[in-house]
Formats: sequence, C-alpha cells, structure tokens
Amino acid sequence: MIPIRRITHLFAALVLVGLWAVAGADSAQAAAYYPISGSGSTWSQNALDQWRSNVARNYAMTINYNGVGSTSGRRDFIQGTVDFAISEIPFQAHPEDGSASEIPSTSYAYMPIVAGGTSFMYNLKISGQRVTNLRLSGETLTKIFTGKITNWNDAAIKADNPALAMPSKTIVPVVRSDGSGTSAQFTLWMSKQFPSMWTTGMTSQFPLIGNAKAQKGSDGVSGYVSQNYGEGAITYVEYSYAKKAGFPVVKVLNKAGYYIEPTAPSVAVALTKAQINTDTSSVDYLTQILDGVYNSTDPRTYPLSSYSYVIVPTQVAGIFTTDKGNTLSAFMRYVLCEGQQQADTLGYSPLPMNLVLAGSDQIKKIPGSGGAGVDTSKCNNPTFKAGDSPSNNLLAQTAPQPQACDKQGTTQCTTGTGGATTSTAVTGTGSSGSTAKAGTSSTTAGTGNSAASNSTAAGGTDQSGTVTDGTTTDGTSLDGTSAAGAISGSGAASSPYTLTDDGTGSNRSLMMAAAGLLLGVVILPPLLSDRLKGRSKP
Amino acid sequence: MTLVLDEAGLALAAPDKARAINVLPGLTDRIFRTVAYAAGGITVAIMVAVGLFLSLRASTALRVAGFSFLTQRAWAPEHQIFGVGAVLFGTVTIALIALAISLPLSLGTALLLSEVVGGRLRGVLVTLVDLMAAVPSIVFGLWGVYFLQAEIIPVSQWIATSFSWIPVFAVTNADGSSATDASAFTSSAFIAGIVVGLMVVPTQTSIMREAFTRAPIGEREGAYALGATRWGMIRTVVLPFGTGGIIGGTMLGLGRALGETIAVYMIISPIFDINWQVLKTGSNSVSALIALRYGEASDFGLSALMAAGLVLFVLTLIVNFTASSIVARSRSGAESDG
Amino acid sequence: MAESAQLTLEQPRTTLPSITDADVPEGPRRGVRGYTPRQLFDLFGSMLGAVALATLLFGWFLPLDGPIGWFVVAFVSFLVLYALMVRTDADRQEVADRVVTVLIGSAGVILIGALVFIVVYTLTRGSEAMFHWNFLTQTMQYAGPLDPLSVGGIMHAIVGTLIQISIALVITVPLGIGTAVYLNEVGGRFARFVRTVSDAMTALPSIVAGLFVYAALIQAVTKERSGLAAAIAITVMMMPIVVRSADVVLRLVPQNLREASYALGSSRWSTVWHVVLPTARSGLVTAVILGTARGIGETSPVLLTSGITAALNTNPLSGPMISLPLQVFDFVRSPEPTMVARGFGAAAVLLALVLTLFLIARALGGKAPGELSDRQRRRALEASKRDLDRFTIRANRAAPLDEFEPPASLEKVTA
Repeated sequence: MIPIRRITHLFAALVLVGLWAVAGADSAQAAAYYPISGSGSTWSQNALDQWRSNVARNYAMTINYNGVGSTSGRRDFIQGTVDFAISEIPFQAHPEDGSASEIPSTSYAYMPIVAGGTSFMYNLKISGQRVTNLRLSGETLTKIFTGKITNWNDAAIKADNPALAMPSKTIVPVVRSDGSGTSAQFTLWMSKQFPSMWTTGMTSQFPLIGNAKAQKGSDGVSGYVSQNYGEGAITYVEYSYAKKAGFPVVKVLNKAGYYIEPTAPSVAVALTKAQINTDTSSVDYLTQILDGVYNSTDPRTYPLSSYSYVIVPTQVAGIFTTDKGNTLSAFMRYVLCEGQQQADTLGYSPLPMNLVLAGSDQIKKIPGSGGAGVDTSKCNNPTFKAGDSPSNNLLAQTAPQPQACDKQGTTQCTTGTGGATTSTAVTGTGSSGSTAKAGTSSTTAGTGNSAASNSTAAGGTDQSGTVTDGTTTDGTSLDGTSAAGAISGSGAASSPYTLTDDGTGSNRSLMMAAAGLLLGVVILPPLLSDRLKGRSKP
Repeated sequence: MTLVLDEAGLALAAPDKARAINVLPGLTDRIFRTVAYAAGGITVAIMVAVGLFLSLRASTALRVAGFSFLTQRAWAPEHQIFGVGAVLFGTVTIALIALAISLPLSLGTALLLSEVVGGRLRGVLVTLVDLMAAVPSIVFGLWGVYFLQAEIIPVSQWIATSFSWIPVFAVTNADGSSATDASAFTSSAFIAGIVVGLMVVPTQTSIMREAFTRAPIGEREGAYALGATRWGMIRTVVLPFGTGGIIGGTMLGLGRALGETIAVYMIISPIFDINWQVLKTGSNSVSALIALRYGEASDFGLSALMAAGLVLFVLTLIVNFTASSIVARSRSGAESDG
Repeated sequence: MAESAQLTLEQPRTTLPSITDADVPEGPRRGVRGYTPRQLFDLFGSMLGAVALATLLFGWFLPLDGPIGWFVVAFVSFLVLYALMVRTDADRQEVADRVVTVLIGSAGVILIGALVFIVVYTLTRGSEAMFHWNFLTQTMQYAGPLDPLSVGGIMHAIVGTLIQISIALVITVPLGIGTAVYLNEVGGRFARFVRTVSDAMTALPSIVAGLFVYAALIQAVTKERSGLAAAIAITVMMMPIVVRSADVVLRLVPQNLREASYALGSSRWSTVWHVVLPTARSGLVTAVILGTARGIGETSPVLLTSGITAALNTNPLSGPMISLPLQVFDFVRSPEPTMVARGFGAAAVLLALVLTLFLIARALGGKAPGELSDRQRRRALEASKRDLDRFTIRANRAAPLDEFEPPASLEKVTA
C-alpha cells in the first residue's frame, strides 16, 4: 500500500512539474519578443546560426532554425508548421522535375537575406600533399557530376590544371540526398549552360549517377569530403562550409576566361548582373533570374553566385501571430543591416543596397512589423554608405581584378582556396603563376604585398575576416617562384604521378608465398610430430 | 464426516443443474471493473487508431501503386513511380548482416553465461549484457560513424580483394572494374549491419540464456554421467532444449534490426537501387527513407511513406509473431509463463 | 506413531552405506574446477603465438592494414594454434570441447568488450565537452557556429528530455498498468483481443510512431512541432512495451495469494490494491523504468515531432523543444570538431541518464514478486509479532471468566 501511494505521489509531482513548466513558459512569453521558428536551407544555415546567436545575445530574441533543406522548408511553410522558411529557389508551382507543385494557401513574400557562391569543395592529394588550387571549367564540372569524367587524371582536368600532375584516382561526386536548394542552383546552372549534357532541368533532388554518393544536408556532404576516406571526393556546397572545414574549393572558369574563387567580392560582382523581378504585384517579386550571372563577361565574376531568400508570411494565419510578426520583422531588419557585416567572414557575400531597400518594403508587409522598414542612413551594411545611390555596390566596385595566373592558359596560381590556405606545390608540366596581383580575396593566402593592402583600403570593408597566414604562401612551391611574376613554361617539370600499388603481379604472389611458408613453418611441425608419434607407437 | 455425507445426499436429491453464481459486486468493484475496462479500452483504441490511420493514409498511395509497390525501386511519388523494392531489399540486407554478426556472438555469450562461468561473475556479466540492451541507438550510431567506419574500411578492402569471386563481396565501380579506393567502401550495408548487429545482441543473448538455463538438471547430469564432455553435454542437452529460445531470440533481434532507424540513417548513403555488393557504398532502409523524406513530402508523398512504414510494420509483425509462437511451442518456452 | 515406525522398518529399503563403517582412508580432495598448468600453457602459449604470427603477417608479409584486420587474423591463428596444441596430448572429443569452450569464451569477451568499448568510447570523447561546466548549465542560444566549447551547453536538451518523458510517463503508467491489471484481473474475450493488439504493437517501428504523430497531430491539429507532440510519439512507442512487461510481471503473482484474499472475503478491487499490486511492485517499477530508458534513448520518434531549437523551451504546448538524443543527432550533423565534441558530450549525458535509470531498475527489480528485502522482512516480522500480541490479548479478554487464569501478580495479591 505504501509503495503504491509513493508511486501516486511521484505522479502528482510529475504533473506538478508539467504544470509549472506550462506556467513558467507563459510568464516567459510576456517578454518583448515572442519566440519564432523556421526551417529550410542548409546553404545559408551558417549565416543564420550566427545571426540567431547574435540577436539572442543582443536583443533577447529567440529564433529557432532547423536546417532540413530548402524543399522541406518550403513544405513546412505550406503546411504552416513554421513561422518562416529559407530557400534558394521560390515555390515551385510547376516544378521542372515534375515533383509535386508547391502552392501555399496563405499569402507570403520573398526577401533576399544573403548572397553567396555555390562552391565545389574537394579532397585531393598528390603524393600525399593536399591540392588547394584546383581549377575547373563548367563543362568539366558538369561531366564530373554526370558521370562522364570518372578519374582525376582525365585529359579535361589536366587541361584545366597545367601545373598539377593529376593522380589516377576515381572521382567520387558527393551529392545531396535530401531536397535541396543547392542542388537546384547547381542543376539550374548546368541546365542553362550545358543543356546537352544536363537534360533533367532544375531539380531539388539530385539524381544518383555512377560513383556518386548521397549525403544529407550541406553538413553531410562537406563532412564526407573532409574525412580521410573522402579522398578523391568532390561536392557542391556553399563556400562557407569549405571555409569552416578548412578545405579548398574549385576555381571555376567564367566567360571572361578566368578561374575564379567564390569570395565575397567575386560573388558581389557576379550578382550585379542578376536580373531581379521588380514587379511588385508579382508573386515572384524580388526573385532572381541568373542567366546574366552565368554569362557575365566581367573577369571577376564567379558564375555560380546566387541569393538566398527568406519566405515570410504576410498575413496572420495558423500559428503565426502579430506578436511573432513583430519578432520576425525585427530579426529581418537586423539581418539586412548589421547581419550583413559578418557575411564575408562566414563565407557569404553581403546584400547590395537595392535589395536591402526592396527587402525593407517586404518587411513592412509582415503583420506586426508596425510598418517599420530599414533606415538606410543608419544601416550598417558593408556594401553601401549613407547617401549612396541604390544601384551602387561598394564591394563590387572595389573588387580587385583576378591575378594573371588565374587566366586560362599554361599558368596556374599556387595559392590556396577556401578554408585551405596553404599553397600547392607545382607538380605538373605547367607553371606556377604569381601572386603579383594578389589580394584578390581575403581567403587566399594573403601575400601582404601592396596590391592587396590597396584593395582592402579602397574597399573600406572588412575583408580580412579570416586569419591568413602569409608565411604559408610560397612554402612548398618547387620552383620557388610563386612570389615572382608569372613565368610561362619554366615551371618545375615533374614525372607523372602514379599511385603506389602494394600488391600486383609477381610482388603479390611472392608475398603470398612468404606468408604461406610462415604459416607452414608454424602449423606443420605439431601435425607432423603427431603423425610420427602415431606411427612409432604400434 | 457425517455432515459432509448429508450434504452430498441433499445435492443428489436436488435437480441436476449447476447453480448460477450471481455475485453482486459492490460499488468499488464496479468502479474498478469499469476503470480497468476503460484503461484496456483506451490502450487498444490508441493502438487501433495508429493502425487504422496508417492503413487509411497508406491506402491512397497503395491504390495508385498497386502490387508494383513491392517491386518498384525508384521513389518518386510525384511522378507516381514509387515502391519499396530497393529500400526493402536494403532493410533486409542490413538486418541479415546484423544477424550474421549477432547470432554467433549471442549464442556464444549465452552459452558462456549459462554453462561456463558461475557465481558472482555470472551475475555481473548478466547485468552488464542486460544493461547494454538499454544503451540508446544513437550512441551506437555515433560509434559506427566516428570509430567503426574508419577502422573497418581496410577489412572491407581486404575481404573485397580476397573474396571478390563471391559476388556479394565484390566491389566494382560504375564501369565494372574492381574498386580499391577507400571511398568505395564507406557508408555500406556491411558497416550499418555490424552496428545494428551489436545493438540487437544483448536482447538475443538474454532470451537465449533464459532458455538455456531452463535445461533440466537431470538431463545434464545424465549426459555427464555417460561420460560426455561439457561440449558433448551442451550439444546433446542444452542446445536441443534451447532451440526454441535460439530461434525466438534471433527473430526478435531480427524484428528490432528491421525497424532500427537512426544508426542506419547516420551511416548509409541512401540509394534507390538494389545493391548486391554489401561492402560497397550505398544501401537504404525503410525507416531511413521515412526519416529522409518525411519533411519534403507532399500529402501524397506522405501517404506513400506511410505505405512504406506499413510494409515494414507488417514485416516486423510477421517476424515477431513467428518468433513468439516458436518460443511458446518449444520445450523451453512451454515450461515458462512468459 | 511408534507402530508405524516399526512397520516401515520391516519393509525393504535402500541400504545406505554408513560412513562410520568405512575404513577407507580419505584420499586428497580432487579439484574438478580450475586449470592445470598444461592447460594454461596451451591457452597463453597459443595466444602469444597468434599475436606474434599476426604481427608478422601484417607488418612484414602481406599488404594488410588496420587494427580490426589484425585482430581477425590473430584470432583465427589463435584458434588454429590452440587446437593444434591441445591435439598433442588429447583425443578428438577433448579437442572439440576445449576449442568450443574457447570459442564460447571469446564470443563473450568480444561481445562484452565491444559493448563496454562503445560506452567507454562515448564517455571518453564526451569528456572533452563535459569538462566545461557551462556544458550542463547553458543552452546553445548564444553559441554561434564558430564558438568554442566554453560557450553554450545542452541544458535545454536535458530539460526537454525530462519534460517529454514526464508527460509520456503520466500517460503511459496509469494506462499501461491499468491495462495490464485489466488483462490479468478482469479478463474475458475482450482482454484477449487487447493482449493480441498490444503484442502486435510492440512490432511498430519507432519511426512509424513518429510518422503517425507527425501526420495525425502536427499536420492535422497543432500545426506546430512541439514538446507535447514528441511526448505523444514517445508514448505511442512506449505503451506496448510497458503493457507487455507489466502483463508478464502481474502474471507472475502467485494465484494462491489472490485466492487467499478472495477466501477472506475481500472484493476484487481490494485484492488488486492490497495484494496483487504490492506483490508485483518491484517488477512493475522495473517494467516502467526499462520502458522509460527506451523512451528517453529513442531518437526516431522525436526526430519527426519535436522540432529543433537552441533555446530553452519549458512550454510543451508551443514551439520546438529539443531532447537529448535529437540534440546529439543535430550536433554531429556538423563536421566541425567542436560540434562533434558537443555531440559526444550530449551522448555521454544521455548514456549516463539511461544507465542510472537501469541501475535503479536493477536495484528495485532484482527480486521476484513477494520476495522481501532484509528491511521489509524485519518489518513484516515486527508486524506479525504485534499481531500475535494483539491476538493473545484479545483471546485473553474474550475467554470466559471461569477459565481465566489470573496473572502471577494477581495471584500474589489474592494469596
């Protein structure tokens, strides 16, 4: 009896705890900002996580964000289980890949939150040394991800990388297993640029072709590539993930014939060519048409640049209330201004003024925003100063020209890319290029020469976000000319690299024979002695 | 004595009819019965609701897919092309690999615990094995991803190169050449199977041990008296007696292996094709499919996922019921209440 | 009595050799357990040989790599060497016996070793994060993706787990134990149906329980992932487990206890409340705690239902509320070392929680129904002594006056 009563007491206590929890939460909700939650893109999750912790610290706002992929985010928004969603592509009323059409029942608005480059992170070693300066043309990339090119020593890759002796190693394309905006951006680019090779159009579900491996989320693909067993792997992921993981990204060939890394300035330059839907009455107001970006002839352009969007509700419905709208609009005002300060450091590119202004109008549509937009004179956005013309983009204007060694041809820069700042030794027949015009980006190994300091000074923006190590710049270059001018054709020649194979042919059979002999020496004596004993006994 | 006889006489005289025992329960009893009935009713209502809801939602998709739902490999509900052919194959592959790993381990350990060790050590080991049954599956998943995956790759490579003449052990690239790169061996059904196998071992072990310890002492001593060694005794007495426990335990383990989600989800690289090469990257399972696709599924897609879940449920149900009927019919099971 | 004893003596009976009669000198007692030096030599010798052989093969002869491969080769060669050594002076039967014993033993060692290793590995890698006190007292709300381990913690996930499991228990325990009582004490045709259904439901994969709650509750009703939804998903998963194990425990309550209670005229309800439940108490508590451990550790139902948050949310009715297993899963999605370290830290906390629950269950439920601990036995003895005293006093009072024997003190007075 007593024990049963004790159990009953336990239950009473549990119920009380539950009640207290509910009551406690109610009192907490009386705070200035009502907690809101969203889900979606992992492409922009790094930026969002940073902003989330900043506003929690500074404004006591609770923003919950679940990076589940853009497709899931849009689906959550349609079903009304989140307050906002983040996606790289708009709702697909008529999806190209024939998936279910996405039509939300409540009204909504798109608002760009950050720009960035879909980069190609890879894990490749030549003679045990990590390659950090790989460069590829769009066509080669498309062939890699469609399974046409399966080995790193393919002629097309060699042609792109004259200074590297590409090893014979299988290419493992790592793709997203979930519905993803990154996949959509990448496939859109391939379908526009190489329609003969990529025939399935824009799709959020990347098809699994050849040796490809599927992983979930941007974290999943970048995590796979960064493992030891990920050697030979390449994936498409936002630039910030490569920076975070300390891995290099591919410099992609643009229409001007330069191989460009997706740094903040090169993305900003590229996106000046993006065509933004400015029809305020259209449901797709502010969405992007990127053909101009893909075909931009500005040598500083990174062709796979794009914006990421937040989808905000413009009416009170379901779980969305004006209290939540108040939080959401305050958060979005933060994102458009102060939030953009950290974009570059994280591996994104800040939004230009025209989009900030347009976004400001969208914020006003959120119920509970109180009609407050963004005050551009106080906006602490690195792309413009108070009083600038809306079409200006300081970052794009001050973006440095690419190095000569990044031009298509026989030279190749040795400096690292992405999160890998060490430069790569020249192993191929081509030559290493110089970093004479270095300072193109904050993330390539800084050389500390005058050009670099000039560009940062003129930019007036904080481009030195990542810690670069000047001493690593020319460390391992074989010919030691990395700091000198481009010297065509004088690069260190090297023997073609072959994969060391431990057991082939006669070597292998010898080994087996030796091992068999050893086993025989160990096992035979007891067996034989037994036999002999057995014979001698009778 | 006489009193009893008298009563019997009276009973004989009375008409030959059983007396109806009409007990009028008191108020508390009636309340108790109602409450108990309600508890049972609510429980069964919840469970039936789950089953009905799943079946109803699943029927939308099943009606579209028809019988091809079991054979179709691709998963694209939006195109009306979807089926569990590939994921079911993956689920069963992983579960079978898990069994291949867990069966010898659990059988050996159960024999060790029931026949070899004794005294305090047995108590400690039994507690330890039972304790392991409570370890959350995410812990196994972490271990699989962060420790086992890197360590097992050389073993996979070795098996693949040495036994490539056995089709399931061969690992080939897309072009048919045999693969040697480490990355061809990651995220495979083999790795997931090992992790799931270790996860189900404790359950299997305790069921088998339970059955073995019930082997009658007289038969054991008889075997020893006839000069059997310990192994002889185990072979002739314990194993035949515990057959039901071995099969039942194995199948219950199989049931759990079929439904395991998170460890498999963390390890495998999902594919929608049948991959006979168990050492090669890429596999899938029904539960991993649900975890992967529930978020982005439209209403119809969700119904397709429910159909997949239903198939898994039915499969597990068959396995579990077979297991419990085998255990109940066996000698070791017949003597127990459970 | 004396008569019957004589009768039995005359009948033939088994002759027992009297020990005192035997003049045989007592030989030294032979040990049947333990190992002879030769056996130990065989065992350790072949172990040593196997290790040496595997190392040679790995390091020198074959292109093999990795500790697991080494272990496999070493184990196989150990078995072969051991069999060969035993063979030198034993027959086939004994070789089989010894080899099988070694196989059984090594299965146990491998299994228990692997399982203990998994736990120790998690705890060791988790200690890196656990070393920072803030890990247990802070939430991840203020921690960005680049922050070190000294910022942020899993307090929100611990609280979330506790709230969710409390709600699940509040629903599961009364319903589960009530159902088990119904199955055993009321019975009937419907009870058999209930038992079949709940047995069937133990086969429900946990992810399907999550999917059910996601579709039936979140999409259709609340439109929001919440702690309550997660708790209900856990409930759906836990309920059949608790019903089934409580059912087994109640079935073990001896029937004669119930019959004794009914014979004394008690009603069904008082039999259940005063006899059946107290008898099965420890077993029921074990059933509930083991179900709880299962519910706390399962990730897949909460993956679909609870939502992800970095902040503390104590309101189960609105907003996402993360729990420990989901937090582990969310942490290790990121390839970053600090996040992985946090993931292992959270896993270690979860593991500690589950293992503690298990040990409590073991301490409470190590006994069969009706078996008492020392303290309980002492208390029962005291109670029965009190009863005895009471009965004697009552008997004395009720006794008729003429049979009344005055106590010694009274006698003295009358005398």
